[in-house]
Amino acid sequence: MTAVTDRQKLSYIASQAADARVNVELETEGMTLNIGPQHPATHGTLRIVAQLDGEQVIRAEPMAGYMHRGYEKLSEVRTYPQITTLVNRIDWLGSFANEVPFILAAEHLMEVEAPPRATWIRTLLFEMSRVAHMILFLGDMGVQLGAVTPVFFAFRDREFVLDQIEKATGGRFHPNFDRIGGLKDDLPKGWIESTKDSMQTVLTFCDQIEDLLLGSEIFQSRTRGIGVIPKDVAMQYGLSGANARGSGIDWDLRRDNPVGLAYPDLDWKVWTHPDGDSFSRFWVRLQETREAVKMIEQLCDGMPSGPIMAKVPRIIKVPAGEAYVATENPLGEMGYYLVSQGGLTPFRLKIRSASFNNVSIAPWLLRGVYVPDIITILGSLYFILGDIDR
Amino acid sequence: MGLGLVESGKMPKPLTKLLNTARSYSVWMYQWGLACCAIEMASAMGSPRYDIMRLGVIPLPASPRQSDLLVVSGTVTDKMAPAIRRLWEQMPDPKYVISMGSCANCGGPYWDSYSVTKGVDQIIPVDVYVPGCPPRPEALLEGVVLLQERIKHENPAERWTGEPIVVQ
Amino acid sequence: MADDSTATTDAPGDGSSEEIVPAEPTDERREAILADLRAGLGDAVLDTHIDPGRDVWARVSAESWAETAEVVRHRMGAKYFGFLSVIDWLPSPYGRSMDASVDTVLAVESGDSSGEDDEPEEMQHGVAGGESRFQVFARVASIGVPGEHWGITVKADVGESLSIATWTNTFAGADWHEREAWEMYGIEFVGHPGLRHIYLPGDFEGNPLRKDFPLIARMVKPWPGIVDVEALPEVPEDGPAGEADATAGDASSEDSP
Repeated sequence: MTAVTDRQKLSYIASQAADARVNVELETEGMTLNIGPQHPATHGTLRIVAQLDGEQVIRAEPMAGYMHRGYEKLSEVRTYPQITTLVNRIDWLGSFANEVPFILAAEHLMEVEAPPRATWIRTLLFEMSRVAHMILFLGDMGVQLGAVTPVFFAFRDREFVLDQIEKATGGRFHPNFDRIGGLKDDLPKGWIESTKDSMQTVLTFCDQIEDLLLGSEIFQSRTRGIGVIPKDVAMQYGLSGANARGSGIDWDLRRDNPVGLAYPDLDWKVWTHPDGDSFSRFWVRLQETREAVKMIEQLCDGMPSGPIMAKVPRIIKVPAGEAYVATENPLGEMGYYLVSQGGLTPFRLKIRSASFNNVSIAPWLLRGVYVPDIITILGSLYFILGDIDR
Repeated sequence: MGLGLVESGKMPKPLTKLLNTARSYSVWMYQWGLACCAIEMASAMGSPRYDIMRLGVIPLPASPRQSDLLVVSGTVTDKMAPAIRRLWEQMPDPKYVISMGSCANCGGPYWDSYSVTKGVDQIIPVDVYVPGCPPRPEALLEGVVLLQERIKHENPAERWTGEPIVVQ
Repeated sequence: MADDSTATTDAPGDGSSEEIVPAEPTDERREAILADLRAGLGDAVLDTHIDPGRDVWARVSAESWAETAEVVRHRMGAKYFGFLSVIDWLPSPYGRSMDASVDTVLAVESGDSSGEDDEPEEMQHGVAGGESRFQVFARVASIGVPGEHWGITVKADVGESLSIATWTNTFAGADWHEREAWEMYGIEFVGHPGLRHIYLPGDFEGNPLRKDFPLIARMVKPWPGIVDVEALPEVPEDGPAGEADATAGDASSEDSP
């Protein structure tokens, strides 16, 4: 058991005390509150059933499955090149990032290595999808607290990043750009310069969000000390990404296990925050967006030249074997456990998506909070329904 | 419309035209965002670059009971289908449905999945299908324009069944 | 001890490694991990496999599945729960009939003999071996200290009883994963606080991820995959533009009332 900070202890005691007080003074009939399956605050179709005692949640249970599309079964009847199309859509905001670990797993089993330029472009687009993803989070978090302006800013500035992704890949949303052994195409002419320009927009957006939200007293009081996840619990539930780093876990697959991507060549920093509350998760994501912009600029400057495709057979058959490859996706650890028996299709593809683990903590986390905080906490955990339900 | 004039089909032509034009530019749109397409729909609603409101479509109504248009955007699963049906039943007549994206049109990339409904038109009638995976926000705008064309030229009596709202 | 086990189980992935390193590559760090696991579990570790420099697997007996969780978490310090799932090693009884016609073309081109789907194939287990049709596997990792990150995949055979101990007592996060595995494969996790549907509607019949669960849509009407690349209708050289416009115009005028 890791040490629990005083803050966590205090908030625990406070919630116990609140429990007792509610029970004695304001005893009410139990009530069940249903949120969803379609609710603006649930990022899609998560349904939450909460048993309430007055304003306090006794037990809350997210009901997943409204977006279950059966990726794992479908990938058993698709060829490897077809699967990239499919996995794009798991975490639909960070589409390109979904392709990469799958391609890396297949490449690992085939013992193919993408040329350096392909690796760099992959890393570049990976970080750009992170930026596009995080911009929406930063704007959306305001909506959860009643501040509507940031989300309009987010949709405005996100377009500039999507434009760049579209210019390079042809797909604004689901690029399907990654191939086993490299990439579909090289970058278009003049792309590097316009990307750097769009990154300036992102930095301005980050500053605006910081001004608009971070310093706001309302924002702070709604998020500080709310939804505290201790380090030990975060590990048990397998939280990853900014949710883990917001709980003080110094762990980032980009630094700790950078398989097949260009992260070791870059100068960047892993941000953590010791508090583990909603605020710290927001703060970590804000810093990560800036860090990603920093990385994109370095990637643009240091882009090596050379081919973008390794030599691979025309018909992709992956030799028998098993591999687990995970990358640090915008939402956290996204991994593919690929089992091949030498055929045209995978024998089994276990998709370890970040949001599934990140949201599985919700029943534990929502116990004892107040109703308005459900929305804040879920907003700060940040999930994509396709990534939970797969 | 009151007094059963519209339902009876005996409305004078100029009045019908006026009514239809007015209706086509004041569509309250209930957004049923389900999957990837929901983000593109949100871009169409929230991003200044697309700005769906300039077409006379008003997003984010308080409830389906005060909306005219349902946009189903994204994959409809068998688990979700009853909820969509129930929501559609709550909408007052005349009501319109836009099915946005391949998944809502026909199942899309999940055509062989065990849990996906192969098209929202299996549970509710659809007026406009917007193809794409996901369609760009412009494509949704185009779909809205097509729907407005349809509203302008339709006979309101056929739409205006005046059936009561069914809620289980 | 760890050495011979890697040598025996390496067979599938072995063929290609020889071109890079002539001798059997070793991975002392991962062998130390396995040694630690053996020290904790003893004979319960049935088989192991190391992918040098990348990953490590261990197969434990079904009886020691719960104990494995305790050992990896408390003794070995792999406190991070990655995921838990199941593999069904049964060769798909539907063979290539589940494939689109475009894939069958590919299969013939590539000389894939599995085109004859009539004869049942033999069950073929992956790394670290196996005995039964279903195997649970879970991944845990030791994280938090930069540079010291490692992960291990542990497997266990699920016998005929289709039940195995739960991990929820050690890793609370295993809750949802076990519900998913129960729903998708019908494996019961003894001691789980509430095995109920997580993804599918309550009245769903069958366990979809089992290999013998058919995808009905494919059975009813095979996907005519090749349609997408069908050649465009031939247009005479002289007036392609005019004709194309005319047809487009016709179509649109029909549409508008």
